[in-house]
Amino acid sequence: MNLLESLQVAVDSLIANKMRSFLTMLGIIIGVTAVLVVVAIGQGLKTEVISRIERLGTNLLVIIPGYGRGRGPTTRPGRLTDDDFTALRGKVPYVKAMAPTLRSSAQVKYHNLKHSTQVIGTTTDWVITDNATLTHGRFFTKSEERARANVVVLGAAVVEELFYGRPLVGEQIRINNIPFRVIGLLKEKGGGFGNPDDQVVIPLSTARYRLFGSRYLTTINVSTISPDKAEVVTESIKRVLRRQHRLGSGEDDFRIMSQTELLSTIGEQTAIITLFLGAIAAVSLLVGGVGIMNIMLVSVAERTREIGIRKAVGAKRRDILAQFLIESAVLSAVGGIIGIFLGVAIAAIGPRLGYQTSVPLQTIIIAFVFAAAVGIFFGYYPARRAALLDPIECLRYE
Amino acid sequence: MASLSVEETAVQSDALIVTRELTKVYAMGDVQVHALRSVSLTIRSGEYVAIMGPSGSGKSTLMNLLGCLDTPTSGAYYLLGEDVSTLNDNQLSEVRNRRIGFVFQTYNLLPRATALHNVQLPLLYAHRVSRAEARRRALDALQQVGLSDRAEHRPRELSGGQQQRVAIARALINNPDIILADEPTGNLDTQSGAEILALFDRLNELGHTVILVTHDHSVAARCKRVVQLLDGRVVSDELNNASDDRR
Ligand SMILES: Nc1ncnc2c1ncn2[C@@H]1O[C@H](COP(=O)(O)OP(=O)(O)OP(=O)(O)O)[C@@H](O)[C@H]1O
Ligand SMILES: [Mg+2]
Repeated sequence: MNLLESLQVAVDSLIANKMRSFLTMLGIIIGVTAVLVVVAIGQGLKTEVISRIERLGTNLLVIIPGYGRGRGPTTRPGRLTDDDFTALRGKVPYVKAMAPTLRSSAQVKYHNLKHSTQVIGTTTDWVITDNATLTHGRFFTKSEERARANVVVLGAAVVEELFYGRPLVGEQIRINNIPFRVIGLLKEKGGGFGNPDDQVVIPLSTARYRLFGSRYLTTINVSTISPDKAEVVTESIKRVLRRQHRLGSGEDDFRIMSQTELLSTIGEQTAIITLFLGAIAAVSLLVGGVGIMNIMLVSVAERTREIGIRKAVGAKRRDILAQFLIESAVLSAVGGIIGIFLGVAIAAIGPRLGYQTSVPLQTIIIAFVFAAAVGIFFGYYPARRAALLDPIECLRYE
Repeated sequence: MASLSVEETAVQSDALIVTRELTKVYAMGDVQVHALRSVSLTIRSGEYVAIMGPSGSGKSTLMNLLGCLDTPTSGAYYLLGEDVSTLNDNQLSEVRNRRIGFVFQTYNLLPRATALHNVQLPLLYAHRVSRAEARRRALDALQQVGLSDRAEHRPRELSGGQQQRVAIARALINNPDIILADEPTGNLDTQSGAEILALFDRLNELGHTVILVTHDHSVAARCKRVVQLLDGRVVSDELNNASDDRR
């Protein structure tokens, strides 16, 4: 008996019992749908978090001072200087842009509205390293930088606090009581290290000489030409800074933070959560499998006479085994397909309910294969029972 | 013939069936039912045998053993010279498929399948028969039993006699060495029964070996040989006067 004929026999008998076939499939349908929806939401969550972080710039490496172990038991705070910056700019490969920053918190004031925020003094390249876009106005220029101009670009949260969200470019505000002219507004970013929207950006020279008077840098932001270069660039930065600071390895007085690191941690965590929830959903698939076994046992008992007739005219054990196994496999595979359609359909309405969802093709394939495997696994015992029946006993069976 | 050893008899070219001391005992709790006691028979190719006996005498038990549907408690059964007890389950299936056409009292058709599909069923389990070939042969067999116009009917859409003719077509389709029929007319009225018996007569005339169980002496009279069973034993084994061609 070939596969096509076995399939035909199986399908015929399933069609003969439509309602029962459907109810048996229901367990598999619900299981597969549940798995797909859980995975879809998990994947959606992951893509959303990742895309948020990517908006901050995945290529960004941030060098911050750390506490290095000097020679002897003492530790000393590391410093980042303009010399470091210059050295890095000359020697590190695969760099798209590099911007030094000097940060401090300060009070900004517009008329009688006050707000405490983070002031970032930096250079024009910051727009590239931090992947910033402006909604209104412009960023400061190199000549304003040289001139230590009192110009400021406001983060979205600050605009909210001082201007109640109005785009008041050209207004005057005060930072630590020094007047600044608002020349641009940053687009909202959301997420990331700290709150990248609650900040104001001014030229580094202005910050250094007019506001904070610090010789050192708070960070050096480096953006690589592509995310996969992050490792090479990190190593290169380490070499340059160790030479600059005259350190042996293991004595680093600086740290390099990367967005890719953060990304992969988040990716791993959502994968674990998705796997866990998916496993719970998969249990319902197993329950569906038990349902198939139950119905197939009933079906074998009901069709004892048919089995006897088939054996009497020459069906071998493997023919009967194949017939019932294919029947349960078809049940679960069709249930799986319906479940996939249902799951994908539910996932598709997710965004309207505020959940971003995505169903990867491999999940669909895995769900289908798993469902079919459940059918074969749970169908095997009833099918084997049918195959081992004695022909004459079957024919006597009423 | 009794002087020949089993093996000698079994290899005789025209000895289709040889049984020696065939015994079937059913254990019903503490009670043992001896359905068949030491039955030794030799049936040659082309014979037309009636098996008779009162109810419970072991006729069906014997037929089931001859049809390889059941296994004996003891004794030997040689089919075409081959010791059936040495065959495994798969080989027994093959024997049932290729060598034997079994016709039951209760027809035993698949209720949801059409007459055509029922007739084709043995070919489904036979080697190397294409679908087209199976269909052609099934239509052929249906024509032999006079049911060409009922190919697409399901069993419940057919009369008892027609159902039995479908079952006979099924038994014929693989061109078996032996046709076994256990009370094939038991559920039929006289008219349909006569038609079925005429069919067996013709099959035998065409060279098929036919063994049938019957209660009816007029039926037995058509056969060339009558075996009488009583209480699981062969009590008589005679040739009919009418036939003279048994060697
Ligand atoms: N499965 C079984 N279990 C126990 N005893 C059985 C079984 N099948 C048959 N028997 C017994 O074996 C004996 C022979 O039965 P068998 O069916 O061969 O009789 P039969 O000659 O075909 O009778 P009938 O003419 O009524 O069909 C009977 O006494 C019956 O009770
Ligand atoms: Mg009987």
